[in-house]
Parts: sequence; structure tokens; C-alpha cells
Amino acid sequence: MTYSIIGRCARTGRLGLGITTFSLAVGGRCEGIAAGIGVCKTQAFPNRTNDPLGIKLLAEGFLPARVMQMFAANDREHDYRQIAIMDRDGRVAAHTGSGTRGWSGHQMDTDSVAFGNGLVGPQVLAGLIAGFLAKPDDPLEYRLMRALEAGRDAGGQGNAQTHKPERSAAIKVVDRMDYPDIDVRVDVHPTAVEELRRVLEEFKLYEEFYRQRGRDPSHAIPQDVFVANLNARRQALAGARASRPAS
Amino acid sequence: MTFTIVARCSRSGQVGIGIATYSIGVGLYCNGLRANVGATMTQAFVNQGNNTLALRLLAKGFMPARVIDELAANDSDFAYRQIAVIDREGRAAAYSGAKTRGYSGHEVGNGYVAMGNVLAGHHVVEAMARGYEAKPDESFERRLLRAIEAGRDAGGQVGNDGHLTERSAGIFVYGAYDHAELDLRVDLHDKAVDELRRAFEEYELYRGYYRDRGNNPRDAVPQDVFVAGLK
Repeated sequence: MTYSIIGRCARTGRLGLGITTFSLAVGGRCEGIAAGIGVCKTQAFPNRTNDPLGIKLLAEGFLPARVMQMFAANDREHDYRQIAIMDRDGRVAAHTGSGTRGWSGHQMDTDSVAFGNGLVGPQVLAGLIAGFLAKPDDPLEYRLMRALEAGRDAGGQGNAQTHKPERSAAIKVVDRMDYPDIDVRVDVHPTAVEELRRVLEEFKLYEEFYRQRGRDPSHAIPQDVFVANLNARRQALAGARASRPAS
Repeated sequence: MTFTIVARCSRSGQVGIGIATYSIGVGLYCNGLRANVGATMTQAFVNQGNNTLALRLLAKGFMPARVIDELAANDSDFAYRQIAVIDREGRAAAYSGAKTRGYSGHEVGNGYVAMGNVLAGHHVVEAMARGYEAKPDESFERRLLRAIEAGRDAGGQVGNDGHLTERSAGIFVYGAYDHAELDLRVDLHDKAVDELRRAFEEYELYRGYYRDRGNNPRDAVPQDVFVAGLK
């Protein structure tokens, strides 16, 4: 039981993955993302070797559809896997094995593929895609975040009787370099999608400071000074809100 | 402001990192582990290109000490970096640049580097090393975790206005595969090392189940049945 979205920003070429599930620490099992190559994620009953293999095959020049055929030929339990692959040009292949449990499926749209299993129904995939497409000019990490929230709001994991909480969640984005651009995680939490939004929003406040500090250390202010400035700005904003006449 | 253990387990050959810091989402920067190659971490003022470059240099056959020389020659702000490099045989090298802030230092032990900056003092680094060595028969990941808990208990990070809490932490282990054996993080928390211990103990209950479920899906019980069995 998991729902995920792979997305590409057509403007920047950035690639990303958003994922949430009942299982713990799902972000620790998402190695299949590489700038300038593509994204590959195997879930449901995942074999951990698929994703690194998929990235290597994409890097060799194989198309996502061909990579999927090779996965099938390489794995006698392929029917139990759910897999989505996107290359750097946005070409997509997806597979939802007949052995995956609960309501299970995938849906492709512009620069995106949504896939999940153990879901309340296809409305979750429709939610993921709608969330992703809602604000196409936003940075990719926000589009992935919105997708996960819309998937959750469409009912997420479970069935008519029982809802399964999201206990872990992650967003990863790569941008040209061979290290991640955005990589935020929630590993053990009762409402992981909400918590991931909190982590992402907080990280975005620090993102440029962290980048600049590494690139130009001789001009970097200490982080405790940065945090004090940040808190002062927050207080000023809260003050401005409080003094605004009620509407 | 960060304290870190980078190590190779001489029994299993696994390589790993345990890390805690005041910065949020530190796991973003912990991409310096590769099976059968080694482990590396650049911190303080991070040069994000260093970890992947160092792994490639190790993979080519350079020694850890030489890898650090190459990183130095490639970086005009090298004095701001703190770096550990360990190869697949456990040879280790470390560097704490003169421009890193606060108390900054490292200890190179047998198959590990303990290092940190903006610390309460060198005793934090020593405590991490002793924590890592304390129970040699425990699993590698438990020893990594013990090291950062010992660093926390020794006073951890101290900034201009006193103690700085750990807001993010992580533990990462690679074994024989090109995927992680353990990759567990706390990205934003006011006691991230405590929370990492909680997450680790919880995740430990599931690890075998998650592995077997993927390897042998036909016989896997549904996760809610597994969870019910835990209680």
C-alpha cells in the first residue's frame, strides 16, 4: 500500500519522485533517481535491485518500455511488483503486477506518472495527477507535494472499511548534478504527508542559505545568526497579521 | 555544527555514516556511501560535489589520504571543509579545515573517523569514538547510533549562545549492494538523535519483514497482519 508520483519539470528538466505509504522509512528505499538519466521506482512487493538496475539501463540508452521488458525477463516475481520508469525526456513506462494487493493501478499524464496499490480506488491516482498539474509553473518539489496531498485527500490507502495512515513520505528532486537537489523525508510519523509539508516548507527557508554557505563560505553568516534573523522575520510577519483589521 | 561517525565494519565489510547536526535535513548531504568502494562525508561548509568525486577517486584506486589531497587541489575554499574518507579496506583519512567554526576536529581510529565542528570540545569527538568502539559485537548500525548518542551526551554542539540542539540526524549503511541496507533519517525535530533512536528501534521490527516481502512475495502476510502481530 503506497501511492507515488514521478514527475518532470519541462522548463528545467528537473526530475522528481514523491512517495508516501503505510510502511516505515520509504524514502530510504528510493535510489532510482539520477539527473540527466531518469527515475525508476519499484513498489508493492519491491525487489531492491530493480531501481539501480533501471537507472543503469536508462543510462545505457534503453527506453523505459524496453527497461520494463528487461525487468520482466529478470524477475520471476515480476507480477508482484509495481514499477514506474521515466526517462529524462519524459517518456514513461509503468507496470502494475496482477499479484499486487488491494486496488492497484497507474495513470500517466503530462510529464507525470501516478501509481499506487492498496488504495481506496482510482480517484487517488486522479488526485495525484490533478495535484501535480494544478500549478505547472511551481518548482517541481511543490508540484510533487501537492500531488501527494491531493492523493491523500482523495482517500489514500485502504478500502471502504479501513483507512491506512501514511506513516512515511519523501520527495526527491535532481537537477543536473550527481547529488540530490531536494531530498526531504519523514520516516516514522502518524500523519506523514502533513509532516512532509512542514519539513519541506521549513527546508525551503534554509535552502538558499545552505547552498550559498557551501559555495561562498568566506561570506557566510553563522547558522544561529541566520536562524535568529529568520525568527525575527517570522515575528514581524505574525505582528503584521495581528495588527491587520479583521475582514 | 555537526558531529559524525564514518566507518567500515571489519566483520561485515559494510560501510556507514551516523550523523547529527543543528542544520535541518542533513540526510540530503549523505550521499557518500558505495558498496565495495568506501565511505566519505564532507561537512561544515559543504562542497556538494566532494562526496561523489571522492567515491569515484576511491573506485579508481586512489588511497583515502590521496583522495583528500585531490579534493584540496580542486577547491579554492578547501579550508572551510571538514572531510572523512574511508576505503573498502578500512583505511581512513580526515581533514578539519582551519576556517571551520568553533571547536572543530577529528579522530581517526581503526576503520573509522569521528569528526565534528562547532562542538563543545574535543571530548565530543572522543566520546563518539569510544561510543563506536564500546560494543564491538553489536550490529554495525547499533554501533554507529551509539557513537552519535555518545557525542550528544558529551555536550554535542555549542554555538555563540550556548548548546545547539540536534535538529536532524541520520544513519546510513551500505553492504554488498548498490542500494542502501539502512537509510533512516530525522529531518526536522527538536531532539533529532532521540527521535532517530526511536525510529531505528521501530524500523528494526520491520526490516526483516520488508526484505522478505520483496524477495518472496507469494508467502508475504499483509502488512496490517504483520503489524497486528507486533502488538
